[in-house]
Amino acid sequence: MNGDTQVAIRADGVQRRRSRAHVSASPLIKIASVCCFVLAWQLATTTGVISPLFLPSPGQIVAQAQELIASGDLWSSVLISSERVFAGFALAALVAVPLGVVMAVWWPAKAIVDPFVSLLRPLPSITWIPLTILWLGIGEEQKVAIVFLGSWIYMLFYTLASVQRVDPLLIRAARNLGARDFAVMWQVILPAALPGIISGLKVTLAIAWSCVLSAELVAAQSGLGALIWQGKDWGNLPLVLVGMVAISITVLIADAIAERIERVLVPWERHRRG
Amino acid sequence: MPTILSAENVTRTFSIGRGPDVVAVHDFSLQVDEGEFVCLLGSSGCGKTTMLNMFAGFIQPTQGRVLLRGHPITRIEPRCGVVFQSYALFPWKTVQGNVEFGLRMQRVPAAERRRRAARFIELVKLQGFERHYPVELSGGMQQRVTLARILAADPEVLLMDEPFAALDAMTRQDMQEELLRIQEASRKTVVFITHSIDEALILADRIVVMSARPGRVKAILENTLPRPRHVSIQLSPDFAALKAEIWTLVESEVRT
Repeated sequence: MNGDTQVAIRADGVQRRRSRAHVSASPLIKIASVCCFVLAWQLATTTGVISPLFLPSPGQIVAQAQELIASGDLWSSVLISSERVFAGFALAALVAVPLGVVMAVWWPAKAIVDPFVSLLRPLPSITWIPLTILWLGIGEEQKVAIVFLGSWIYMLFYTLASVQRVDPLLIRAARNLGARDFAVMWQVILPAALPGIISGLKVTLAIAWSCVLSAELVAAQSGLGALIWQGKDWGNLPLVLVGMVAISITVLIADAIAERIERVLVPWERHRRG
Repeated sequence: MPTILSAENVTRTFSIGRGPDVVAVHDFSLQVDEGEFVCLLGSSGCGKTTMLNMFAGFIQPTQGRVLLRGHPITRIEPRCGVVFQSYALFPWKTVQGNVEFGLRMQRVPAAERRRRAARFIELVKLQGFERHYPVELSGGMQQRVTLARILAADPEVLLMDEPFAALDAMTRQDMQEELLRIQEASRKTVVFITHSIDEALILADRIVVMSARPGRVKAILENTLPRPRHVSIQLSPDFAALKAEIWTLVESEVRT
């Protein structure tokens, strides 16, 4: 509940407050750990233990990153990939969340949709790449379609499960307090399912990112996936690594933003996350 | 006082798996007068919750009728407000939001809603906690919110299903005292389920002793202890005498 009282759960199940030293030293150790790793990497590559043909040195990567930042290519790649993820993700949420709610409360809808979901679920999003290229070309629509196709089913599952798990006692209590169907839906079922739906969306966001990157690796002129692929084609390993680091950081930032949004939308769950 | 709530020869059976139907309540009849506090007393599995669920309209009798002011209860009945043992508070609503819920359903205007919610929050002594979420409160406080929520909705009958069973002994006593105070002031009709003889004697005007499997009315006793009552009534000789009387009734049930 309080920002400065962090609780660690030890293996024996005893909860105790982290000591002040623990709280302040932990970030320092993390930074030191990363620094040591980078230093070892730099040493290994400059002394020739690892050939730069297999792995460029951190210095080369930084130089490449500076170049890409200066030219604006890095930023535009991050932006274009993010746009594709956002469009596909939003579209999928717009379809899957309402559909999941309807399927959970009205069984014929579930019976109608279930067989298709079962058939489509085992297909990884990359298997859609040939068809979507045929239908949509290799432009933006195709990338958005791949994100959509790769994420909507997960959203559907999380929504369906969250709504089905709503405590029937709460619905009973609401009706006893005079709530009709409409109020039960908007005032009880949806808010009760919301935390589950949102954490499902958070999981799906990571999946959406892997979808866009695979689509960009196969066929794209722009985006972080394309950047990596160009690096490979040109034999420019530092470019490949800059792309990978950029993906990692971008997804981390997207996660952090999602976390913030979650906190605002479901304030009553705050205590659970500490 | 006129009858407000009644059960006429009510029987309720449940089918469980492939086995024979289980009779939860058998030929149960009871008339509850307006303003009366009735306790249904019995061991677990005696069908008292089943009976309460029928008064609330959550389930229907297999035979017989359950009536509110002479009309059969055929659906969930907001005029019979339920206080659940497990609170059933809305975790996404603050104390204020929970207490206002029933009023919101009745389309009471916002200002009036706030005014009435404030009154009942004060009645259960939760001022200062209006903006807290249920999860931030103790069990006793959560049960107070449930009580305020149902009182604010102003049902004609309060149905309470072992509301204090999950509380520790001291909090329970505190809550019993609150309930006595609130009920004696409002003269609201209450049907209260408990398995505690003490609790029944502290609270009730009339005690319905139920027998188990199937649940039937074993005896109905007038609780002659004077009102207004206080939890300290437990220390009086009259209390002990009544308790002994009920105990002999219940004992035969427990033994068989």
